[in-house]
Amino acid sequence: MEFFFELIIAAFLVIGGIFGIVGSFGLIKLNDRMSRLHAPTKATTLGVGGVLLASMAHAAFFETYVSIHELMITLFLFLTAPITANFIAKVHIHRHDTPDSLPEPGEDKIWATHKKPENEVIGPQV
Amino acid sequence: MSLFLIAALPFLGAVFPALLIRAGRNASASAAGLTTLLAFVGLMLHAPAVLRGDVIQAQFDWLPGLGLNANFFLDGLGFLFASLILGIGLLIILYARFYLSREDPMGNFYTYLLLFQGAMVGIVTSDNILLLLIFWELTSLSSFLLIGFWKHLPEGRQGARMALTVTGAGGLAMIGGMLILGNIAGSYDLTVILSSKEAIQASPLYLPALILILIGAFTKSAQFPFHFWLPHAMAAPTPVSAYLHSATMVKAGLFLLARLWPVLAGTPEWFYIVATTGLITMVLGAIIALFKDDLKALLAFSTVSHLGLITMLLGFGTKFAAVAAVFHIINHATFKAALFMSAGIVDHEAHTRDIKRLGGLRHLMPITFAIATVAALSMAGIPPFNGFLSKEMMLEETVHTAWGGSAYLVPGLALIGALFSAAYSFRYIVHVFLGPKRSDYPAKPHDPGVGMWLAPAFLVGLVILIGLFSAKIVGPLVATAAGAVIGGEKLPYYSLKLWHGFTPALYMSIVAVAGGAVLLMLHKPLARMWDNAPRPEAKVIFEALIAALTRLARTITDGLHNGAMPRYAAIMIAFTVALSFYAYQSGTLAAPTRTLQDVGLIPILGWASLLIATGFMVAMHRNRLLALVLIGVVGLVVSMGFNYLSAPDLALTQISVEVVTIILMLLALNFMPKETPIESSAGARLRDISIASVAGLGVGGLIYALMTRDFIGETISGFHLENSYKGGGGTNVVNVILVDFRGFDTFGEIIVLGIAALVIFALTEAVLGTRVRAYLLNRKPDLPQAGDSHPMMMVVATRVMMPLALMVAAYIFFRGHNLPGGGFIAGLIAAIAIIMQYMASGFAWATERQRYPYHAIIGSGVLIAAATGLGSWFSGTPFLTSAFGYIHWAPLEEFEWATAALFDLGVFLAVVGAVLLALESLSRFAWQPGANTDHAMDINPARDDVAKTENEG
Repeated sequence: MEFFFELIIAAFLVIGGIFGIVGSFGLIKLNDRMSRLHAPTKATTLGVGGVLLASMAHAAFFETYVSIHELMITLFLFLTAPITANFIAKVHIHRHDTPDSLPEPGEDKIWATHKKPENEVIGPQV
Repeated sequence: MSLFLIAALPFLGAVFPALLIRAGRNASASAAGLTTLLAFVGLMLHAPAVLRGDVIQAQFDWLPGLGLNANFFLDGLGFLFASLILGIGLLIILYARFYLSREDPMGNFYTYLLLFQGAMVGIVTSDNILLLLIFWELTSLSSFLLIGFWKHLPEGRQGARMALTVTGAGGLAMIGGMLILGNIAGSYDLTVILSSKEAIQASPLYLPALILILIGAFTKSAQFPFHFWLPHAMAAPTPVSAYLHSATMVKAGLFLLARLWPVLAGTPEWFYIVATTGLITMVLGAIIALFKDDLKALLAFSTVSHLGLITMLLGFGTKFAAVAAVFHIINHATFKAALFMSAGIVDHEAHTRDIKRLGGLRHLMPITFAIATVAALSMAGIPPFNGFLSKEMMLEETVHTAWGGSAYLVPGLALIGALFSAAYSFRYIVHVFLGPKRSDYPAKPHDPGVGMWLAPAFLVGLVILIGLFSAKIVGPLVATAAGAVIGGEKLPYYSLKLWHGFTPALYMSIVAVAGGAVLLMLHKPLARMWDNAPRPEAKVIFEALIAALTRLARTITDGLHNGAMPRYAAIMIAFTVALSFYAYQSGTLAAPTRTLQDVGLIPILGWASLLIATGFMVAMHRNRLLALVLIGVVGLVVSMGFNYLSAPDLALTQISVEVVTIILMLLALNFMPKETPIESSAGARLRDISIASVAGLGVGGLIYALMTRDFIGETISGFHLENSYKGGGGTNVVNVILVDFRGFDTFGEIIVLGIAALVIFALTEAVLGTRVRAYLLNRKPDLPQAGDSHPMMMVVATRVMMPLALMVAAYIFFRGHNLPGGGFIAGLIAAIAIIMQYMASGFAWATERQRYPYHAIIGSGVLIAAATGLGSWFSGTPFLTSAFGYIHWAPLEEFEWATAALFDLGVFLAVVGAVLLALESLSRFAWQPGANTDHAMDINPARDDVAKTENEG
């Protein structure tokens, strides 16, 4: 039984480790910024998530109490990681793209980052 | 009346004239007069006892640790001066009521006058030289206010500044002298000092102490070469001149000489310094006075001369001379105050003080003429007036005094002084009042109302009475005062009478008066010669000296600190390094007592991150945004370091301070160039790099040395660990230190924090009130701005986070006493929770929803902390003693209560308020009316949906 628990915990750890490495590797390997933005998301979600799950399992199986600290960490990660990514993307669009170089914004007139007074006129008309 | 009350009355009464001026000038003057009268009567109640030879004392230990006791005593000398100060003060108050015009702020005048009066009474009655010094400086300050009373006149302001500079500098010297004196005697109490003559005169520090004290006394009493400030102080209103510059303040120096006469006098040093200075001052002042055309300048230099005379007498060091000095102090005060007042009357009625434009006034102003004539004749030393008596005694004493082996030097010079003194006194009568009536006075002169001439007439009455019946009227006073001067020893034989027979002094007097008359006749050609002769102009020299000192001070200050950070930092750090190197060289370094621990993987990782971050910082510091990021990295590593080394409180504090600081710097960066330009030369940078490297290596070495050794003594940590739970009721030692052991420190710190935030707020307000506001409003951002400044995701996330963060803050706050946490950290976390709203939803949006002003939050925090501290008084324990106990409420587990938590609440509120006020103030620079958003989120699908349905509907 103990071996089984250890197996589960080890599996979580390995999964976490693999995604951590993948995320980091992607950060180096991928070519442009927008693609690179994808890589760390793997590390923060599945990578850290795996480690947290391992930690919870360890607490539950071996130290016989339910640990919810990890859930809090997950919650904070889920709150902060998307916002960080959102801001990085916005900075990239702001600095390197013009309204013309981006795909159509769908039902809106213009992408939010470009939505400023001087762009209202020259923006693509729908 | 208690001496405390007599000394305090003028200070207490000083409030009333300024307040009662609204009820009219008479009310104001009456308040001042009544206060003085009350003090005078109180003083006179002591007269019988003092004249019997008793010494009245009043004692109160003020700061015994410093030897500063508020002890007062009243002996003959103090009594003499106090009655002069209060008595003449009363006359001056009457005179000033009618002298000052409607335009003059009379309430202020009387307030200053009473402050001055109180300070003077304090000087002459204090029994502690430190207390005396305090009053001494107070007279300098209050006389500054009085001399510069006519603020609109440049002469008034310059004269006041000069007087303050000279007497203030002298006062500084005197502080040094007095401290030495007190040190030798072993006490700062005058009565003790006065009884340790041998010890003081035998001390090697006698001469320095003497010189320093004499500088103080000479500057105050306008002795050569410090005499020049007195004529310039004549720009003051005449009542001030009559009070300060004839009867009281300039006599403070003489009082001090007389007071310390028993311990300082009698040595050759005393004789040669004091008597010579007095002699020179007397002759010089008398000669200059004759050639002054301004009435008050003439009187000013004559005052200088007479002060020199008294100084000389005190310098002789003989008992008879001391008696003569005391007697002349009384006489000079009476006739000189009367003369100043008569000069003021002439000025007031004729609208000029220029002797050249006056003459023949005896027909127009008979009463003033009579007053001025009697007083001037007394000054000239004509019998039967009181000036004659003391001048006779002075001349008599000079005949018996040899200077450096010459028996004729002192009497000869004294005779010249007396001669010129007679000449200028006669000139005051002849050129102003005698002669033909003129037709070109600036105004039509006539005698003033009774209010103005009553005071000088009273003094002149005294001049005559003292002259005729001196032994009866002032005999006992002179005897007790002189007895106090010579230290209670037996008085020598003297007699206060007009006729002493044919003595050398009488012949000298006759020569002086006759010579004075001759000099006056020759005045015109002499004055022409005087005007053509080159003379040093004291004001020019003084101003050049002050300008040179200012330049010197500015050169040194600018050389050290010209506003450029690199220079300031370089000097500071180089100096510290040099000092540390000296300490290292001259001290000893014990062998290390601790062995190095093994280094684990995690410390190496942290260390490497620090090195990499700082290395990047050195390379990339010109990019300011990157520099901020790197600072953040370093801060995080430091926080983790604290955590790793089992200091969770520090880690929590560090990380929250880090967040707040970075946000603060980001706000500032908004207004600054994003790159630091290269401004210094390569050489300068090389220099700075080497200074920084040496200092950094030095600090590293110091810390290494410290950490490899145990402390020499036992540290206080043991005590804290031991008593934290027992005495403070908490197991978190850090928190117990903050709220209990060192609660008073924390209390001070939250006040400082609050003040700092208020200062930032005040600066912002002040800056935004100037043209800067227009500049900020028209500011074009230096980089292109992005749209969607308040993205929906961020806004929503921060709203979700806010209650969570506040709950964390509450959690950290409550656990603080026993587990890592506490009010300070909780305050920072709560502040961050609110700052997030400002950042995400915009300044305008957040401000609108902020209902409690941050000032009030700071204030309530400080008040709660103070109230908690005061609470301990009710149980009879010292301020901020904490109490704690345990409560058990049925469904809950047993928990602890501690008053320290209330105190911590105060800390919490103060921190929240201070951080938010500071950040809000700085943000207001960036706020522009156009930036006011209607919605927190620039893009909000919910809003779009509503709009859509409305359009469709």
